[in-house]
Amino acid sequence: MRRGREGKSMRLALACLLICAGVCCNIYGQSLFGIGKRGPDKPGPVRRMPDGKPDLEGYWISQAGGAPYGVEAHPSIPGSFGGPTIVIDPPDGKIPYQGWAKAKQQDLLLHHMYDEPEAHCLQSGVPHQMWTQFGFQILQPNGYVLMLWEFMHGNRVIPLDGRPHIAASTKLTQGDSVGHWDGDTLVIDTTNLKDNTWFDSTGNFHSDQEHVVERLMPVDSDTINYQATIEDRRVYYRKWTVAFPIWRNPDPHYEQMEFACREGNVDLEHYTDKGGK
Amino acid sequence: MAAFLGAPVASMAQADLQGIWQADGTASLDVEKYVDPPGEKIPYRADALAKREANFQNSKTADTVNKCFLPGVPRITLLPMPFQIFQSSNFVIFVYQYAHAYRTIPLDGGRHLDGVDFWNGDSRGHWEGSTLVVDVADFNDQTWLDASGSYHSDAMHVVERYTRTGPGTLRYEATIDDPKIFTRAWKISIPLKLNTDKNARLMEYECDAAGKGSR
Repeated sequence: MRRGREGKSMRLALACLLICAGVCCNIYGQSLFGIGKRGPDKPGPVRRMPDGKPDLEGYWISQAGGAPYGVEAHPSIPGSFGGPTIVIDPPDGKIPYQGWAKAKQQDLLLHHMYDEPEAHCLQSGVPHQMWTQFGFQILQPNGYVLMLWEFMHGNRVIPLDGRPHIAASTKLTQGDSVGHWDGDTLVIDTTNLKDNTWFDSTGNFHSDQEHVVERLMPVDSDTINYQATIEDRRVYYRKWTVAFPIWRNPDPHYEQMEFACREGNVDLEHYTDKGGK
Repeated sequence: MAAFLGAPVASMAQADLQGIWQADGTASLDVEKYVDPPGEKIPYRADALAKREANFQNSKTADTVNKCFLPGVPRITLLPMPFQIFQSSNFVIFVYQYAHAYRTIPLDGGRHLDGVDFWNGDSRGHWEGSTLVVDVADFNDQTWLDASGSYHSDAMHVVERYTRTGPGTLRYEATIDDPKIFTRAWKISIPLKLNTDKNARLMEYECDAAGKGSR
């Protein structure tokens, strides 16, 4: 977070964490963690590394509206902001579930919120991690792009050395990501995903056959246009794509804090109290 | 700015520590065996030693590493699983296989934060020649130093030193000071081994009481 007012922010972040990590933090995310805020200066051109590739290092905040609660359009409910869909394809903004899978999503939403993976302090999976709250840091050490989130201390290590994916039998919560530059666009291909994550807090899910291709397209010094195309023939009848901008955090003194989760998690009791189990 | 994507790290006045490393030995079980100089005991205060034994007797439930809590420093380095070191222009970054933990070490000369504490402390780094020195403070008093119940208070101050000693080796030293628990500062020294498989990557180690993390 930030030096200077870290005491207040820390307490709020802690309160968020202890009360309801999965849902309520959207409120704090909107108002206190910089979503929708721009810096005072006009953005400059895309920053460059010495080799000419885009320099994306710094702190960023995804402008994904209500997506941490629900990927599709949804009204505001107590504890969470509503928002439009982040699905840009299909054009109706809906996840193109096969019939059985839509029924399963509804069952998860209505009867199995206790199983919400983030409530168990799991990382969020790919691409869900990209629209979690509180922002993230991008670093470009030699041969890699690193993405480090404050939320749940989620992280992604993306090698750029052209290596193949790991053996298909190995499944990981964050999957196996490999990246390359296509001009100024960072393209990330992710496979080997476990089926233990959702896309949001409304039961939108995938199988371990999920394959994700993400494109991070720098527009100027402070803006990245983000797209992810998701394919999973077991669950959807066609590919689908989400898109939103990612803005540079305007606070020059920003630092991310430690986000402990298992260490003080009472989110599960929150769900149990609501009869969600 | 000393950004160097695509340039060899050796061109910086820094050692190249990048790679996947793992502690060699059993320091995570009993850190006292790795006190430097060898053979010395951890200098517990007379009134502090009994708690180590009590911790050990209760370790099955009291050792928070069994619940995948953040393990503190230096224990996070000693665990029997790999971690990856990255070097960027203004940061050194450690990403750990254990519980998807990471530490970012700013190299900008900034000071520790005031009035907050963390499971893994607050880390600030600098280079002394080819040694990466990381100063860690702002700990809570919840973590242990090993599985044998060695512990510390919220007054602990750790200075880590990472020194490349060969193509596949690195020496990890940590000086631990905590006047509430120990009579003086003491040091451990542990070799780290590099994973030389060029396609190696960190896997995931998760655990939680509800069993969701490892399913």
